[in-house]
Amino acid sequence: MTRRRLPWLSYLVVVTGAVLTVVPFLDMVMTSFKGPGEAGTLPYRFLPKAFALSNYRAALHQLNLPVLFRNSVVVTAVITASVLLTSSLAGYALAKLRFPGRDLVFRLVLSTMMFPPFLFLIPRFLILVHWPLAGGNDLFGRGGAGLTVSIAALAVPFLVNGFGIFLTRQFMLSLPDEVLEAARIDGAGEFTVWWRIVLPQTRPVLVTLGLLTFVDAWNEYIWALLVSTANPDLMTLPVGVQLLRDHVDPARTMPVVMAGLVLSVLPVLVLFLLLQKHYIRGVMLSGLK
Amino acid sequence: MTPPRGPSRRHIALALPSALLAAGCAAPHRGTGRPGDPVVLTLLTHYASGALHRALQGPVDEWNATHDRVKVRTKAVEFTDLLTTFMVRQAAGQGADILHPYCLWNGQLVRAGVLRPAPPEHAERIRRDWGEAAVGAVTVDGTVYGYPTEAQTYALYYNRRLLREAGVDGPPATWPELEEAAYRTTRRDRYGNPLVQGFGLSANDDATTVGQTLALLHAAGGRFVTPDGRSTAIDSPAGRAVLALEHRLVARGASAPAVNVYQAFPSGRVAMVVGAGWWTGSLRPLMGGGYRDVGVAPVPVPAPGARPATLATGFMLGVNTASRHPREAWEFLRWLNADRVTAGNGTAATRMSALQVSVGSLTARADDMRALLGTGGDPNLRPFLDALDYAVPEPNGPGAARAKTLLRKNIEALWTGRRSVEEALRTTRRQVDQEVSRSW
Amino acid sequence: MVNVLTPQTPERAPGPAPAGPAGHGRRRARHRQTAVAYLFLAPALLFFAVFLLLPLGFALLLSVSHWTGFDLGAIDPVGPDNFGALFTGGSTFLVPVLTNTLLFALGTVALALTGSVVVATCVDRLRFQGLWRTLYFLPIVTTVVAVGNVWKYMYEPGGLANGVLNALGLGSVAFLQDPDTALPSVVAVQAWASLGSAILVLTAGLKSIPASYHEAAALDGAGPGTVFRCITLPLLRPSLLFVCVTQFLTGLQSFALITVMTRGGPGDATNVAALEMYRRAFDYGDWGTASAAAFVLFAVVLVVTLAQLWIFRRAGEDA
Repeated sequence: MTRRRLPWLSYLVVVTGAVLTVVPFLDMVMTSFKGPGEAGTLPYRFLPKAFALSNYRAALHQLNLPVLFRNSVVVTAVITASVLLTSSLAGYALAKLRFPGRDLVFRLVLSTMMFPPFLFLIPRFLILVHWPLAGGNDLFGRGGAGLTVSIAALAVPFLVNGFGIFLTRQFMLSLPDEVLEAARIDGAGEFTVWWRIVLPQTRPVLVTLGLLTFVDAWNEYIWALLVSTANPDLMTLPVGVQLLRDHVDPARTMPVVMAGLVLSVLPVLVLFLLLQKHYIRGVMLSGLK
Repeated sequence: MTPPRGPSRRHIALALPSALLAAGCAAPHRGTGRPGDPVVLTLLTHYASGALHRALQGPVDEWNATHDRVKVRTKAVEFTDLLTTFMVRQAAGQGADILHPYCLWNGQLVRAGVLRPAPPEHAERIRRDWGEAAVGAVTVDGTVYGYPTEAQTYALYYNRRLLREAGVDGPPATWPELEEAAYRTTRRDRYGNPLVQGFGLSANDDATTVGQTLALLHAAGGRFVTPDGRSTAIDSPAGRAVLALEHRLVARGASAPAVNVYQAFPSGRVAMVVGAGWWTGSLRPLMGGGYRDVGVAPVPVPAPGARPATLATGFMLGVNTASRHPREAWEFLRWLNADRVTAGNGTAATRMSALQVSVGSLTARADDMRALLGTGGDPNLRPFLDALDYAVPEPNGPGAARAKTLLRKNIEALWTGRRSVEEALRTTRRQVDQEVSRSW
Repeated sequence: MVNVLTPQTPERAPGPAPAGPAGHGRRRARHRQTAVAYLFLAPALLFFAVFLLLPLGFALLLSVSHWTGFDLGAIDPVGPDNFGALFTGGSTFLVPVLTNTLLFALGTVALALTGSVVVATCVDRLRFQGLWRTLYFLPIVTTVVAVGNVWKYMYEPGGLANGVLNALGLGSVAFLQDPDTALPSVVAVQAWASLGSAILVLTAGLKSIPASYHEAAALDGAGPGTVFRCITLPLLRPSLLFVCVTQFLTGLQSFALITVMTRGGPGDATNVAALEMYRRAFDYGDWGTASAAAFVLFAVVLVVTLAQLWIFRRAGEDA
């Protein structure tokens, strides 16, 4: 069997690749323990002289960690909840309800995935700024700061996800119609059918979608950078950690930055390791349609 | 199957995004506007940390303690993020009342309608009490937009010990002496890592990269853009001489732009570098006793006897067009920048001058500077002060910031061997002309 | 957000079987179902209207206008001037910004594709496949700020990469400071970070190839190289297409990594179109040309994607 041919060569390739993948993370962790004058000096040393926690203390001191964590957690939770809710609602309608215009709506959903996010960066920001009756704006969106004063600004552009709708719809197609029909005949409304029958059976794909959304939302950088430039109260963890860098003397602050990075990466890494099966399945699903 | 009851939690779930949106409907914190409550002015600056932050906070606290009706609150970001922050906050309707821009950006900020012209009595005072270079930097198309706060001139920093060890007697006064000293002080290890650079070139950011080159350009009698700001003038014999000089220094290994000069010089790994006056303030605490080795001399000129010249850059404090309290804002700026108080050593100076000198920087008012330095003070600041008399202010037209970025990219392309001197000059001219001549 | 390939032919959903006994009742039920369906779709449709169609129109308007910002009433439509400004005279937009963008995407795709094909076929023969996949996946779940900073630090003169080079007796490389190496250095990081998902997709593709194909070929005396070329690769085509298209899409529009690592420097060596757009808008307040740049990049993305679909389809017909 070819599967068992040349395993040593395969091991060599795979292990080398894995080392290349993991070493940068180890370097990050090691650097986060290095003392002053230890990082960035020649010759390079992988291990720190002592595992000191001073950089973590400095990172905690310089970062407004409670606020950064709060923003990141709230925004990630809201986005994930909203994407799950809107995707399963719309996915159900597109998969299991019959109504005029369904194909058109489905095609619209598909086409939304075509547009790259950078195209919307400028106009979405301006739309949030000129949101009527928010942040001191008048009815025509003038005079104030719009939604950029609120934490909503961080989440709004990500509340609905065309890919999420597509994914749930594809999954729901495979649900047997007989069960739904039986419930309807028993007098259950569509909301009830959706909540009591469809959602429980869709759980696997919702867990997967939730994880994908969670990781993306937690790691989002560009939009959060823009919004928190307008309003520093809205800084998220990735943006805050990036600000730790000292531009005049980066070598001195690098260990502190690494400590901040470890702190910001940790929650997602733990979640990923706990639920990796669901996450990995999500990525496979997105590739195998 | 019995019909199950409808969901009760779905209402909560549906309400989530809408509640989030509604949360945004609160008005921004801008003071209540009720009669009797103090007016709160926000001031956006890059004095974000350390001594600069404390130095500015001093007068602001003093103002807040002595004024009941108008309070000032400072907000700070790093200098590299300052322009973006101005633009984004202005677009978001959250611009600060008082802005502390780099004068290079004034044209762009005026064009975008961010800066408010100074009221006549303030403009008159500024023209009267400040020097020519400082007033030029805060003026756009003949209108004054703010109080100059600091004036940075460029001069040659050198490490006495490294020059001495290489057998060089004193700082070079001409370009041939500069090159000679640079080659003699350079040292590298066996891998080619630079141990000592003879002449450091900063590739850190637009400000330092272009600053050092323009200082040399002015010393050679050249200019970056024409006086009307509508076209480039760097494609000239002077420009050619400067770029050729930098190119030679890099090619012969005396300069290693990949190394961060602002780290390498304090640790004794750079013999000479052209930098601005503010740097003395950070070098002194950073180097401790090693600062004794640091000397400052005027920017060398191409040939003996040539007229000295260098670059002057500056910052100013101005008022946002979107501010709802411009009168109060200008009043605060007058108090901070023009009222004279008795400073530490008994001389009279403005609060801003005292602030700048206390952090080892240079105020835009040469008279204050001379008085405050008196007989004591850091002798290394003298050359920067003297240069105020002959320094050329940086252009500040609408496309100036982009023009500077374009010049920087061409300089870096030259250093890294991507472009020859001629190509760098030609592309700079083409690119910058396109930028500064655009109609807005 | 996740990029996915738009499928070519959406499957038809089997509609619910007509159940009502009378035509009248059926029609009423259908009316009710229409109402419910649109109620279910309402949040999504509303969102797409406000945050997709509206911004698209707004961006189009800005791209043909002069606007110095801040006052919506002062938008001044001037026609295609902004597009002209991107391509005339000394503009750096076409060269090097757009060419960098294409090189960046092309480099990432080439590296990630080769790497993932090699690793995926190797992993397929080993034990502990879950462990390997997890390891390769770590970069994907890490924020770009961490990836960028860690690598930027590793590339520095006193960093890990040069440490290894010096230990091997080689000279130091100024990875990010030398314009000749800066772009390849960033490309390597982007490929490194996207390897995990490519491996996953290809692994799934490999698993769907029946083992009997390989066994039959082996019985016929075909060597592993021949099997790979004649059986594995052709059957892997859908997965390869997917990896190719998504990586290209990501590569063409990514600038977060570059913002963190080089800010586009040295010079313009790593400047890419999306970063240029961001700068023009939010540094220089030049909203018009920034929006125009966004549309030019969008056009490039479309053309590149369509070209790939066409090429893969052609290859499929030839096979």
